[in-house]
Amino acid sequence: MSAPIIRVSNLAVDFASKGIVVNTPLRGVSFEVESGKTLGIVGETGCGKTLTGLSILNLLPPNAIRRGEIWLDGHGELNSQNMADVRGVQISFIFQNPHSAFNPVFTIEKQLKIVAHRQGLDHHQGERIIRDRLKEVGLDDIDRVLTSFPHQLSGGMLQRCMIAMALLGTPKLLIADEPTTALDSTIARQILTLIYNLQKQYGFALILISHDVGLVSDIADNIAVLYAGRVVETGTTNLVLSDPKHPYTKGLLQAIPSASVVRGGLTAIPGQVPANTLTIVGCSFASRCSQVQASCANDPALKEIAGRNVACGVVTR
Amino acid sequence: MSPTQISLNHVKKTFRTRGLGKRKEFDALVDLSLDLRKGEILGVVGESGSGKSTLGRCAFGIVPVTSGKVTVFGEDISQVSGSALRDIKKRMGFVFQDPIASLNPRMYVKDLIAEPMRMHQEFSHNFYERIEYLASRVGLSSEQLQRRPHELSGGQCQRVAIARAISTNPEILLLDEPTSSLDLSVQAQILNLLSDLRSEFSLSYLLISHDLDVISHLSDRTMVLHDGQIVEFGDTQSIINDPQQEYTKTLLRMKSGSGRIDTLGTSSPSLPPGFDLDMWQEAPLNRWAFQNVEKFISTQIIEASSTPAPWAERKQSPWRDLEISGEGSIGSILESTYTDALLVVQNGNIVIEHYENGMNPESKHLLQSVSKGILGVLYAQLEAEGLLATSDLIIEHIPELAGSGYATATISEALDMTVALNFSEEYHDPDSEIQQQDRSANWRHRLAGDVPGIHPFLQSLTGSGQHGQQFQYCSANTDLLAWIAERVCGDTYATILSDRLWKPMGLVTDSTITVDEFGAPLANGGISMTARDLARFGALFLDEGYIGNQAVVPKKWIAQTLAGASNSVQSVEYLQVLHPGGSYKNQWWITKGENQEIYCVGIYGQYIWIDPTTKTIIVKFSTLPVATNSEHSRLHMALFREISRRKF
Repeated sequence: MSAPIIRVSNLAVDFASKGIVVNTPLRGVSFEVESGKTLGIVGETGCGKTLTGLSILNLLPPNAIRRGEIWLDGHGELNSQNMADVRGVQISFIFQNPHSAFNPVFTIEKQLKIVAHRQGLDHHQGERIIRDRLKEVGLDDIDRVLTSFPHQLSGGMLQRCMIAMALLGTPKLLIADEPTTALDSTIARQILTLIYNLQKQYGFALILISHDVGLVSDIADNIAVLYAGRVVETGTTNLVLSDPKHPYTKGLLQAIPSASVVRGGLTAIPGQVPANTLTIVGCSFASRCSQVQASCANDPALKEIAGRNVACGVVTR
Repeated sequence: MSPTQISLNHVKKTFRTRGLGKRKEFDALVDLSLDLRKGEILGVVGESGSGKSTLGRCAFGIVPVTSGKVTVFGEDISQVSGSALRDIKKRMGFVFQDPIASLNPRMYVKDLIAEPMRMHQEFSHNFYERIEYLASRVGLSSEQLQRRPHELSGGQCQRVAIARAISTNPEILLLDEPTSSLDLSVQAQILNLLSDLRSEFSLSYLLISHDLDVISHLSDRTMVLHDGQIVEFGDTQSIINDPQQEYTKTLLRMKSGSGRIDTLGTSSPSLPPGFDLDMWQEAPLNRWAFQNVEKFISTQIIEASSTPAPWAERKQSPWRDLEISGEGSIGSILESTYTDALLVVQNGNIVIEHYENGMNPESKHLLQSVSKGILGVLYAQLEAEGLLATSDLIIEHIPELAGSGYATATISEALDMTVALNFSEEYHDPDSEIQQQDRSANWRHRLAGDVPGIHPFLQSLTGSGQHGQQFQYCSANTDLLAWIAERVCGDTYATILSDRLWKPMGLVTDSTITVDEFGAPLANGGISMTARDLARFGALFLDEGYIGNQAVVPKKWIAQTLAGASNSVQSVEYLQVLHPGGSYKNQWWITKGENQEIYCVGIYGQYIWIDPTTKTIIVKFSTLPVATNSEHSRLHMALFREISRRKF
């Protein structure tokens, strides 16, 4: 087992208004990812998935307060001082919607060159590496792509450009936040395969953030299920998905439609993610859980059950 | 059968682009017919741009069709207008993809739900009770009726859209990607709601989605749409469980959750229509596939040299009409052998360079078994470095093979193909070991009971007798040797090749090799490279192992290989005809002909031919319609022999 590339412990984010904490969307998330491995982070909208990714790079709005520790191999604990050396160089990010992530008034070439410059590449090196990467991400007509503005490319092509951009340096960690959600399922599969193959080639650690459990199961080695700003279940993908223990994980899996399930038989999780996580007392899932008991008024800690970690006071094996 | 509510008859829809310059026309729908029966859910699935939304809009009379006929509730929709049209529209409901965009942000939820009823002047004494009833039916509280769309979540907005759609008691609903912008858990709630509503109000749905899971979960019949045409149409269960068309199969394979990425063969963009992983080696797909292997099989890059040594160019003299005795002109032979590339190098100069089928000097082409010859050359290096000896037992390096047919064989027996194995090299027989190996290596779709990966496959092979006695051409031997190479060097085969051959030899273009999901290379046939780079391997044999001033392999090894093996290949009848007395040494075919020619051959017509006497190297890439054919082999031999004996 190789050493982790990144270790996140007790990461929490508060949002403050006029100096008063009004919202705590992330309430202590811990995980680590090894080189060449993939961690899938899943959960519903509002569970804090994207925020987890953004807070690793400290890309939070000014009224956010980050707590906890993020440790990166070779850089120690990340803080606002060494973040500049790390962001975009050691850690790259792929955003959900490629059309809004690129600047609409510059050509792809211009935007890639800015990032190449940031990686410390000179003009000629940069040009060569940009072309190499665009080729590797499966773009054919590179001259056309380079001279295009973002709106002139399809979502799939633009997402490929973003992946190329993320890999202009040699990141140790790639964070992909819903990289395929804005794309067709066939294109999505291509992009995911591409990321997978590039990971094989470059050996970076990957954090894949998605609400689609199926998608994550296709690529992730480990999985962390996030609910209301906390990890409620984490372990190897195979174990967690084949035999989920936490009622929320079970609910997520039962919500996936497929031809084999009798029509109308989808077990939806009733209700919604609690909006203001500040006021949660006890288990955050209790209000939607079918197995809720009196003991759920106590905040459950992660504990090992059947080979993975589960935060549930009811499930024991 | 239930009565038909909507029927489309040979509908065509053409969009014209306006603006400066040439006007263009685009056929969104091409001659499409369908019927929506009462009480059924008809699913339409396809990628972006397949015309599925246009189909929905045409069927519900939102946009007029270019030609053909749309009948709704028995009336031709293009012929009705005024109150008759309003009556028809009242019996229809619409739910669109993005609920936040399709709801007016300035209206309250109660007004949004009431709007269609107001438009159709459906006032009754219990108007407000009806709004509350509709809201509760779709799972909204009466408190939420007082909110505006931005105060609701995406799932709640979609509930509002559904309440709106069913407010006028319609009979048919158009659901255009109703859950695409929602979370999976919320999607499940909405799908359950739609399913309940249908039975409660006996509605018919035209359900449009790119998500096969949603379609297959809900719909009774499914239509697969591609480029405005019906690919497949029928009962949902039969389409999901037994798709007939390749496109449908591709869609099903591409679903998320349909399996680990690494076990997936087809993955990359722009596969040609009708592409099938089981058929790419056959005509006509091979014409495309042999130049595009990396688009459907995982590959690793064999890096070229940073100081490339390109071939010296020389003006070509006319060669096309030169006669090959008794076989016609060179040009006509190239034509009849499905040639992709022909490169002839004589005395260090390119004298013929000819490409077809879209190839050029930078195009890579699959080598098939010519890849084996490259491994042979690599072994000369590994032995010279002292990393192994060809007399070593295979299991000294790979103990995992102790239980297999390789347990007692030596490296040299594998190099010279004299390992006795139960292995059938019948390329067109699905039960043969060579096809099993293709499936293990992701060159074909894996079947139930297949061993995953090349290494486990090698471990599964069994012996058939005494090794070292008889020539038995067996592709697996080369993959075994690549495994040993990786083990002794502690690196990937692609890197080993790059460091030890590609870079010292000054090869110009990056090559690729296919790998299985564990990264094991298919060394027996998976390399793709350019004709010019491949010809460099010929130069090694002509210059005693040197490329320029760089010694790449020992002189001794070159001499030993050119001399051939004592063990001839007479046991194989057609080889005896091709080159009487010939043998197989270090992964190369030795003709023992007058000029001591040696060569490598790959199925479907890949060759490198070396004539040490006339200092000629010939590389030919082809995409023959059959894997092996003795007539093709004979013709190639005749062509190569005569070309090498001419002076250009």
